[in-house]
Amino acid sequence: MPFVRFIGFSIVRAWQGFWRNAMMSLAATATVVLMLVLLSGLFIVITGLNSGLQFIESKVAVTARLVDDLPISARTALVEEVEEYPGVASVEYVSPAAAMDRLRASYREVGRELDLGDPDSPITLFASLEISLTDADASEDVGAALATHDDVDRVLTKQAEYDTLLGIINVIRTVGLIGIGLVGLTVLFMIINTIRIAVYSRANEIEIMRLVGASDSFIRWPFILEGILCGLAGAIVTIVLVAVIWDPIQPAMVTIFQMPTAVSAQFLTTLSVLLLGVGLGVGALGSWISVRSYLSVAH
Amino acid sequence: MTYPNGKVALADVNVEIPRGDFVFLVGPSGAGKSTFIRLLIREQLPTSGHVTVAGRDLLRMRRRQVPGLRRRIGIVFQDFRLLPNKTVWENVAFALDVTGVAGSIIRRRVPQLLSLVGLQDHAHHLPTQLSGGEQQRTAIARALVHDPAILIADEPTGNLDPVTSWELIQLLIQINELGTTVLMATHNQEIVNAMRRRVLALEVGHLVRDEAVAAYEREY
Repeated sequence: MPFVRFIGFSIVRAWQGFWRNAMMSLAATATVVLMLVLLSGLFIVITGLNSGLQFIESKVAVTARLVDDLPISARTALVEEVEEYPGVASVEYVSPAAAMDRLRASYREVGRELDLGDPDSPITLFASLEISLTDADASEDVGAALATHDDVDRVLTKQAEYDTLLGIINVIRTVGLIGIGLVGLTVLFMIINTIRIAVYSRANEIEIMRLVGASDSFIRWPFILEGILCGLAGAIVTIVLVAVIWDPIQPAMVTIFQMPTAVSAQFLTTLSVLLLGVGLGVGALGSWISVRSYLSVAH
Repeated sequence: MTYPNGKVALADVNVEIPRGDFVFLVGPSGAGKSTFIRLLIREQLPTSGHVTVAGRDLLRMRRRQVPGLRRRIGIVFQDFRLLPNKTVWENVAFALDVTGVAGSIIRRRVPQLLSLVGLQDHAHHLPTQLSGGEQQRTAIARALVHDPAILIADEPTGNLDPVTSWELIQLLIQINELGTTVLMATHNQEIVNAMRRRVLALEVGHLVRDEAVAAYEREY
């Protein structure tokens, strides 16, 4: 029961403190919102790009263009050989006709018709093997092995595309985290200041609390909770904002970044947990620093 | 007791106050009365020597034991130190609330204390709606919430007129008769002379007089 009383007392005092010093508390909350909105943006972009990366990984990783007029028996032998390579998930033979059909389909997707002039045009595409991998890192070895094979004319890998996307993700992640770190420091100082002002504005009460024998936790925890309240309020506001804009964003995540629908459905929950954690963490850290430095010296 | 700036606030002070005593602490401003009180409530620690209060050695006391000590000591000040936005009831209840006392006990204890100090009819008044004497009574009720063994009054009549001062002294005597040790720092010669109680006189940090039944100034 005493613990329940302590919790109740601290929460009530924190709530009163938050509104007593409303301008400062709301300013601190606003900075928390700013930081968390930036974090959400970064999280959305990084998650989207990661999904794109996984999509590329899951698609055909290596294409081997076959030499002209390769006999069926040689082609079958080649397929069987490549299937044995380490890191290879599956091998699919794409005939010149199938390649042409795909080309026509891709034209139709953007609303055009492939025009080769003469309907009986002798133009054909290459036959190829499309190899998907269990591990994207195997693409280099598989590519190298195929390049030296007599039946293979040319090897195309997705490695360059993959590396470029990975590079972009790393740059965005680094720049984003540095930016959020700087904003996070500002937020921390705002909360430290807010709680410092709260401590000073309650100096008389604190003195009386000490004189009548209030324990340190009764004096300190209301202020720590007041800081946590700023973080919590900031997180809730941000979650509401993200939830509102998520509806128009979600289809784009699925189409542009090829985010799997399962990930997309879970995304808002994951992001909310992250925002709550960071909001509460910054609030608690800022007020804890403040309470340590401004309540301990006076004791 | 020496402050960090080198000023000696108290030196060679040896005093023992038995349980249930009523003692006056007198002396001019800067004599060391406040330091004496601060040592008793462990707001400060002596640079040398010992302080024992209610059977506890304050130098050996851990920081987390200090709140327990403070609940054994009630303290009132010249400027009352009430919270201006809280009523009489709330000011007294606050001292119980911040020490984790249950609501049912608070609701029982506060009326008892207000009745003891004669403020039961002013429970819902704010400090600004009270006279100086009533404010000091509120402060005394607050100081008594934990039923302390010792009540320290630092110039409690400093802001009160003579009639109100006497009323307050009557209240302190009543509290003392209920078994609480009372230590009252004061400049009020009339009260000290009339009461004929034990007097500790400080001057420039030294105890210059400790007499059992005495007046404000030396009588011989």
